[in-house]
Amino acid sequence: MKIGSRALLLILQNAPYILFVVLLVVFGLMSDRFFAIANFRNIIIQAAPIAILAIGMTFVLLTAQIDLSVGGIMYLTATVLALYMTGAPWPVGLAAVIFMGGFIGALNGVVVTRLGVASFIVTLATLFILRGIAMYLSNTRTLMFGDEILTLNRATVLGIPSAIFAFLVVFAVAWVILHQTPFGRQVYAVGGDPEAARKAGLPVARIVFFCFVIAGICAGVGGFVSITQIGAVGPKYGDQIEFSAIAAAVLGGVSLFGGRGSVAGTVFGAILIKSVQNGLNIINADPYIYPLVTAAIIFLAVAIDGLRTRIIERLERRTIRPVSVE
Amino acid sequence: MALNRRDFTVGALTGLAALSGMTVAVRAQGSKTIAVLFDGLYSEFWVAGIQIIREDLKKRGFEIMEAISDQDDNKQFEQVRAAIARKVDGIIIVQTDSNAVIPAIRAANEADIPMVHFNRPPAPSDAFSVAIQADNQKISRDAVTYSCEVAKASGKKHKAAILIGDLGDPNAIQRRDGFQEAVDQYPDVIEVVAKIPTEWNADTAFAGLTNALQANPDISFLFTSSDFLIPQIQQALKTADKWHPVGNENHVIFTGFDGFPDAYALMKDGYMDACGVQNLFYETELAIQAILDLQEGKKVDKLLLDPGFAITQQNIEEKKEEMWGYVLWKEKNPG
Repeated sequence: MKIGSRALLLILQNAPYILFVVLLVVFGLMSDRFFAIANFRNIIIQAAPIAILAIGMTFVLLTAQIDLSVGGIMYLTATVLALYMTGAPWPVGLAAVIFMGGFIGALNGVVVTRLGVASFIVTLATLFILRGIAMYLSNTRTLMFGDEILTLNRATVLGIPSAIFAFLVVFAVAWVILHQTPFGRQVYAVGGDPEAARKAGLPVARIVFFCFVIAGICAGVGGFVSITQIGAVGPKYGDQIEFSAIAAAVLGGVSLFGGRGSVAGTVFGAILIKSVQNGLNIINADPYIYPLVTAAIIFLAVAIDGLRTRIIERLERRTIRPVSVE
Repeated sequence: MALNRRDFTVGALTGLAALSGMTVAVRAQGSKTIAVLFDGLYSEFWVAGIQIIREDLKKRGFEIMEAISDQDDNKQFEQVRAAIARKVDGIIIVQTDSNAVIPAIRAANEADIPMVHFNRPPAPSDAFSVAIQADNQKISRDAVTYSCEVAKASGKKHKAAILIGDLGDPNAIQRRDGFQEAVDQYPDVIEVVAKIPTEWNADTAFAGLTNALQANPDISFLFTSSDFLIPQIQQALKTADKWHPVGNENHVIFTGFDGFPDAYALMKDGYMDACGVQNLFYETELAIQAILDLQEGKKVDKLLLDPGFAITQQNIEEKKEEMWGYVLWKEKNPG
């Protein structure tokens, strides 16, 4: 391996961390408030819904699939909660969104694995269907949640804000599943080389199916955490959040081509995205700058992933030396 | 009681006249249909808007063809075509996109059906339609000016934040400009430290305001470009321990826009200082009158402005009956 390529790979593999440090320094120099501990706590609370969503997305991306329906799942589950479960205790509401999210994820999984339709198409269709159902049910009105849900945002568990606690639980469960169980290893194997995984006797379809179920559950839970913060669900709820979730995963080192990445990286990506938005707010940036910066970050994420994959492929390529004939 | 011939004749003629007149009135509008095409009912403003239009049209004896396009321009165009195919006598429309609606206006022009845009004007084009719009800039300027006076009277300098709507929405931009015009008149009193883009998204607004309060814990002046963000503002200010009514030394001088029922409730309880009110009753009346005038072949301007008004802690008792949010609030809170 050439030293130059190795150095470039090292930089690309650590690009999100380098970017994060650069952003910290820039925002920190522009406002001393950015470095306050309360602000970092604030960033993590705001990143929690996207991080949870992106953790689910990580499972799907690791199998070289994609789930564009997570924003629709968020919107529909929150709408059902607001319409039909207003007086229910919050644990019942949480259980309901987990069930609904898992069910929708299972539907995605069945169509992708049994009918063999590309996940991009299936989940794009599901996204529109789910948003359509939610708009139909709500008559496109903004629905409000009661104090039962709103007070959760200010609640703490063991001194930890509830949003951070929920995110830590999801992270811990996902980390254990992915890194400490045979299923987790199978997910990487399927994403790395589905054909080899099939030949090795792995139930590829079942593994992909469960990854969609996990993504659906995470979308439901992420949506639940989000509504405890904003207290309402309207037609723009969860709109285009799938792109933020994908960007978070890719920024954190998850490959769009499958088989590479971790939930820890994904969480880092989500925090990075929210740090940018937070930093722009903190320095009172021109409102017209926001979409430019956000788009640039997503572009950077995809570009880094493409470059990283190409370099790894190049480095892993075997070189066959011609045999010299004396 | 005995009736003489004269009384009987007068009574019978009056009754007959009334009955025939009523029949004529019903027949005049009863056979006419107006299509009411909204792109969504995102907030109480739109819900109230469609209700008032519906009731007013029914009262005038019109039949109504209603449809919601769920922010889908193609779907809305199909709805316009369906209305044209049904030969409606007028179309009141709320479009999602000011450019995408132009083919629909052209189709209505070709079918000679008058079209009125409710609350959102279309992009400029050679197609003819009438738009009803609130004078957003003036209304927000008036409301914020009142709040600036309150700030000035406090004798302190205030740090201000504004929640801006979608930067692609002309209404949002006009409200922002109205805010800016007002605060520019008070440079010694107001310093704008946070311009928060919300994209009309509650999540973005909540996060943005929370971050702004983190950067500037001494923010004491706030303007929201729409009252639909009130729950998120309340949540963010409560978390920052800044949710206090007028009179409390930590009260944030708060100005809203739209005139939602929530805004009235907050004004009544002293949490909001002023609110720019779109006169929904007047806007619906303008829309229906424009349709009627166009049907009769009268000339109508392409843009009809609702001057709106600012409701404040000072004039709330005298102006509240004109505030659509108060009317809805009163229905929900009788007595």
